[in-house]
Amino acid sequence: MPRTLLDIFGNPFIATGVGIGAVMTVLSINVLFCIWFERKVSAWIQRRLGPMEVGPQGTLQTVADMVKLLGKQLLTPAGIDKPLYHLAPLIIFAPVVASASLLPFSKSVALSDLNIGLILVFMFGGFAVVGIFMAGWGSNNKYALLGAMRSVAQNISYEVPLLLSALSVVLMVGAQGGGQIEIGDEVIQLNGLNLSHITLAQTSGLWFIVFQPIAAVIFFIAILAETNRAPFDLPEAESELIAGFHTEYSGMRFGLFFFGEYSNMFIGAMLATVLFLGGWDGPLLPGPVWFFFKSYLLIFVMMWVRWTFPRLRFDQLMAFCWAVLTPLAIVNILVTAFALKVVNG
Amino acid sequence: MSYLGSIFSGFKTLLTGLGITGKEIGGKSVTELYPHVEPELPEAFRSVIQLVRFEESGSHDCVACMQCVKICPSTCITIEGGKIEGIKGKRASEFEIDFALCSLCGLCIDTCPTDTLEWANIYDDAGQEREWVYDLLKPHEAFEEQYLTTRRAIEAKEAAEKAAKKAAVAKAKAEKAASEAASQEASPEKSDTTSEADS
Repeated sequence: MPRTLLDIFGNPFIATGVGIGAVMTVLSINVLFCIWFERKVSAWIQRRLGPMEVGPQGTLQTVADMVKLLGKQLLTPAGIDKPLYHLAPLIIFAPVVASASLLPFSKSVALSDLNIGLILVFMFGGFAVVGIFMAGWGSNNKYALLGAMRSVAQNISYEVPLLLSALSVVLMVGAQGGGQIEIGDEVIQLNGLNLSHITLAQTSGLWFIVFQPIAAVIFFIAILAETNRAPFDLPEAESELIAGFHTEYSGMRFGLFFFGEYSNMFIGAMLATVLFLGGWDGPLLPGPVWFFFKSYLLIFVMMWVRWTFPRLRFDQLMAFCWAVLTPLAIVNILVTAFALKVVNG
Repeated sequence: MSYLGSIFSGFKTLLTGLGITGKEIGGKSVTELYPHVEPELPEAFRSVIQLVRFEESGSHDCVACMQCVKICPSTCITIEGGKIEGIKGKRASEFEIDFALCSLCGLCIDTCPTDTLEWANIYDDAGQEREWVYDLLKPHEAFEEQYLTTRRAIEAKEAAEKAAKKAAVAKAKAEKAASEAASQEASPEKSDTTSEADS
């Protein structure tokens, strides 16, 4: 059981402040790294060099880009819905920080250890749809609106297989060792919705990707769609919709969308790590190293996928979700429940 | 194909695609860091022309024959040339090309009788004025004095050799004439008999 910041600091205000600071730092570094890494991966796949000018191997390129974005004029188009337009980047950005603080990255310390961590992460993930639709609607731009509508349809659809595949893991956790696990002389009643309990259930046995390979693949694909990554990047779809929902955003407002996208990717990868790859579990190296290594491995696969596959057509996207992923996830959860019942009696 | 079969085969093709791009990761890049790395130019690369520096003479071999000036469709070549003391033939004293006018057709290179024109490998040049004149003789200025000295020496030597040869030939001719005159005197009928036999 990891200790939380509240256990360490006692005072909830100090704990919250430290937590927000830590999460923001990690997320910012992650975004700086991921954007650079994405460009490098795309360059490698396309036999290019990628950013090389700023810093060694172009590592400081994102910093330069960020300074450029900060210096840009914030254009506000005419005829916008002002509250929606200005609130949208924040709505996308704020839940990211919240859900990142829920993930247990280490055996001994976590930012927060809630019994409904999994539900909260999915809930905060759902906020992104609201933000995207607000951006598209408030921009008074037909391309932005099209992108936002696509995004809503896509994210709501893909949330179904996402949740169903995660649910099979929850079932597994509840059934692990009769729902109890011993750590030292402490016996913990496992709770399938607690993210650190999910990890603990995997540390004693095999990782859930071994028991649930189909769920793992479905979860990964649904994460790609939820974070609007290629080949599911229809809400942005540069070649069709200019930039989709953030067409009318410039400067650091656009920067916030970008921050949100890459942070969502990071959170999706971390969540997949917790659910299927055993979280902090690993030999020799300390827990957080394993946790972040696995997460970045998944992020790398996401980038690899992005620079390999072309974008789906919208009907293909929907057919894939409703005709392939959702039935498979339902069958998977039924089989899991049946097997657990048979094994555990 | 069955529902599950199509899902399976579709998934397999996805993995094939990932394999194709995955093979490129960590491979060698085909692009280069342009301004920092000198590009490998193709053999037929065309830019401005330059005068060849020949190994044996140590300089160019432009004889100011004006062939390139005449053939140039863009009239961008200017050549001045003339005699230089101690050397046979003409030699260019000014060779300029206005690159702003040049169309890179290469006719000057093809037409050059002494093959002293070639493409230069200048790939990164840019200009901001209408006048964009290259002085092709400039890179050869440093070698010109040396060239002229050796050339003069060679030509003086050649002239001396020629004079000696000429003298030798004249001498041999004189000797031959003398000997022929002597033999003719000795047997005057011999030539008459041969001419009769031929006829």
